[in-house]
Amino acid sequence: MWYPEWALRRPGAPQDEPGQAVGADGRVEAVNAAAYAAGIRRGMRRGEAEGICPLVATLERDHSAEMVAFEQVVAEVEALVPKVEIVEPGLIFVPVAGAIGYYGGEAPLVERVVKEIDRVTGDGYRIGLADGPFAAKHAAAGATVDTPVHIVEDDASFLASLDISAIGREEVVATFRWLGITTLGELARLPGSAIASRFGAVGLDAHRLASGRDRLPNPRELPVDLAVVERFSPPLEDLEQAAFVARGMASRLVEALASVGAAPFRIVVEAEAVDGTTRSRTWRSADPLDDRAIAERVRWQLRAWVDGVGVGIRGGLAALKIKPADLSGVGRQLSLGEDARAASETHRALAETQAIVGLDGLLQAHPQGGREPVDRVAWHRWGETPVRVRDPEAPWPGRVPGPSPALVPPDPQPFHIEWDGGMPVRVRLGSRWVTVRSWAGPWRRVGRWWKGEETGDQYQIVTSAGAFLCEIRSGQTWLVGIYD
Amino acid sequence: MGYQIPATSYEQDRALSTDYGLLSTQYSVLSTEQGLPALAPGQVAVLSGEPGLGMTRLGLVMLSGYTGGAVAYLDVRGWLSPIAAWEVGIDPDRLVIARCREVVRWGRAAAALLDGAAAVMAEVPAGAKDASIRKLASLARNRRTPLLLRPVDRAIPAGLAHLMLEAREITWTGTVDGHGRIEQRKTRIIASGKAMKGMTRTIEMEDDGSNALRVVSGVGAAETRSATG
Repeated sequence: MWYPEWALRRPGAPQDEPGQAVGADGRVEAVNAAAYAAGIRRGMRRGEAEGICPLVATLERDHSAEMVAFEQVVAEVEALVPKVEIVEPGLIFVPVAGAIGYYGGEAPLVERVVKEIDRVTGDGYRIGLADGPFAAKHAAAGATVDTPVHIVEDDASFLASLDISAIGREEVVATFRWLGITTLGELARLPGSAIASRFGAVGLDAHRLASGRDRLPNPRELPVDLAVVERFSPPLEDLEQAAFVARGMASRLVEALASVGAAPFRIVVEAEAVDGTTRSRTWRSADPLDDRAIAERVRWQLRAWVDGVGVGIRGGLAALKIKPADLSGVGRQLSLGEDARAASETHRALAETQAIVGLDGLLQAHPQGGREPVDRVAWHRWGETPVRVRDPEAPWPGRVPGPSPALVPPDPQPFHIEWDGGMPVRVRLGSRWVTVRSWAGPWRRVGRWWKGEETGDQYQIVTSAGAFLCEIRSGQTWLVGIYD
Repeated sequence: MGYQIPATSYEQDRALSTDYGLLSTQYSVLSTEQGLPALAPGQVAVLSGEPGLGMTRLGLVMLSGYTGGAVAYLDVRGWLSPIAAWEVGIDPDRLVIARCREVVRWGRAAAALLDGAAAVMAEVPAGAKDASIRKLASLARNRRTPLLLRPVDRAIPAGLAHLMLEAREITWTGTVDGHGRIEQRKTRIIASGKAMKGMTRTIEMEDDGSNALRVVSGVGAAETRSATG
C-alpha cells in the first residue's frame, strides 16, 4: 500500500498550489497534483523542478513528522491484517497469505482494507497485490487515482513489461541498456550464471527481481539470539534520550550481525511502557539496514508512538528491543583492507564523545549552496542523515570567494574599524589597534529584502595580525569570518 | 596544483631536509623537501599564534594527511568553518567536529576522541589545567593517535610537544586599496621541538586556498641551535 503524496500530507503543505517534497539528496520524492500538472516528476533534481515551475512550494522531507501521521494508517491496516511492515512513511507491505483465506479471497480482503483506509485518510492510496514485495510495489506504482487497486495474477509476466530502470540499480541499468536490455523481461530471459559472471552480486539481485523472485531470506540458523535489549531505570521520558540509546543499540546489533556475516532487511522494534504495555512494529528495507538506518527507524517509530494515535508510551519507556529479521544471505563482505575493528572502535569512541558533549555537540557537516560561509554548511548531528537545504551545485553568484575563512562565528560579532576618508585605517583586536595593510570591497549584499534582511557591505581587511571578513549593516560593523 | 619549487630554493632545502616519515602525498612535499616533519602515531604538535595567522588552516592540512578513519576537531569556540577543511582536502564524511565550551568536559571529550579518531586537532581552552593537557599527550602516545593542540589564549606546558609551530607574521596578497580580493598568503612560522632535531627554524609557507600549502623557503633564519624539549 503506497501513498505517493504522503510527504505532502502534513501541516503547512500546499493544498491547491504546486507543492513538492525533496529528500536529503535534493531530489523530488513527492509531488501534488498541481505540481504534477506543471510537469514536475519524482526523481527530478530540486533545481530542475523549480526551473519548470518557479512557484512550486518545496518541503524538506521530515520522516519523523510524516510517521506520526502515518501511524494511524498502520494501526488501521494492522487491525485487519497482522504483521504489517513499514518501509517508510507512506509505504507499507502487508503479508496477506493468511488473511486471504480468512476474508475469503483477495477481492474481499482488499475491499475491507479500502473501506477502512478510505474512512481514515480519504483517497490518495495505491494498492498493489502480488506474490512478492517488488512486484507489489510496482503494481501499486502503476495504479491510478481512478483504479487505485492493481491485483497481479502472475508476478513474472507483470514484471516482464516494466522498464529496466525499475530495478533501481543505477550502476548496472546504464550497462544493461547499452547491451540492448531495456525491460525486466529481457533481463529475466538471460541465464543467471551469465549475469553473475558479468555483473556479480548486484547483477544477480537484479536478475532475481526481474524474474519475480524476490530476495530469499537467509536460511542459516544463527547461533544465538541477536536481538538487543535495553531496560531503563528510571524509565526514559525524553524522546531524544531514547533515540540516543537506540543509536548505540543499532551499532551493537549491526556489529553482532556482521560478526556472523549477516545484515538485516527487516527489524522489529518493541517498546515496553512502564505500565507493562508493549508496542511493536516491523520495518523493512529493500537494502540491508545499517546502524544509521536502524537508529533512524527506531526514532521515527518512537515518535510515532508518542505523538501519533493511541495511548503513547504511558509512564515512560521501560525497555526497548530491536530484533533483526529477514537476514541477508550474503552478509556483509568487507572489502580488502577494510578494518572493521577500527571502524567499530571509532564508532564507540564517537558515541562516547557524544555522551560527553551532548547530542548537539558532536557534528558533521556537508556542503550546501549559499553565498555566505555560514550558509554554505549543512550541519547535522553525528550519526544522523545529512539534510541539504540548498543545491551546492547551483551557481550562487556573489558567493564569498575562496580561500574561505577558517573561523566563522555562528553569529556575527561586533568589530571595530577606524575609517579615514572612506578607507579603513585601523582595526581593533582585543585591546589593541592594528594598522590595516590593504583591503578589498565593498561588496554589496542585498539579501532577501522581502524577508526583512538588511542590506550590507562586505570588506576583506588585511592587517599584519591576519585577514578578516567583515560586514557593515546599519552603521554597525560585524566580524563575519577570520582567515586563520 | 603543482609544487614548482625553484631549483636554488630546492637545493637549499634539500640541504636542511630531514628523513622523517610522511603524512600524505601533499604533506610529504612539506615534510621531505622542505624540512617540516610529519607527526608519527602518538606524537603531539602545538600550533600557536593569534587567530588570523593561519594556524587553523595549517592544522587542517596536517589532519587531511591522516587516512584510514575519521579525523576529529575539538572546537572550543564553536567557530570552525568546515569549508576550510573541505578546501584542504578533508572529505566531509571523515570530519567530525566536537563542540565543547566547558573546560570540565573538554579533557574527557578530547580523551574520548583520541580513542577512536585517526588524528585529533584540539583547541585548548584558556582554563584547561596543565595536568589535563599532559594527560592527553600521554593518552595520545598510548593510543598512538597524532594530536594537534591549538591553544586559545594560553600556553602549553613545555616538554610534551614533539613539534611546535608558532606563527609570527602573515602577508596577504590580492587586495589593493579596495580592489581585488584575498588570494594568497605567506606565513612566517617558527618551528622547534624534537621533530626539528632540537633546532629552531623559520619557515615561510604559502597558501592559496587550495588543498596544498607550499613552503617557499625552508631556510629562513635559524634563530637558535639549542636543543628543546
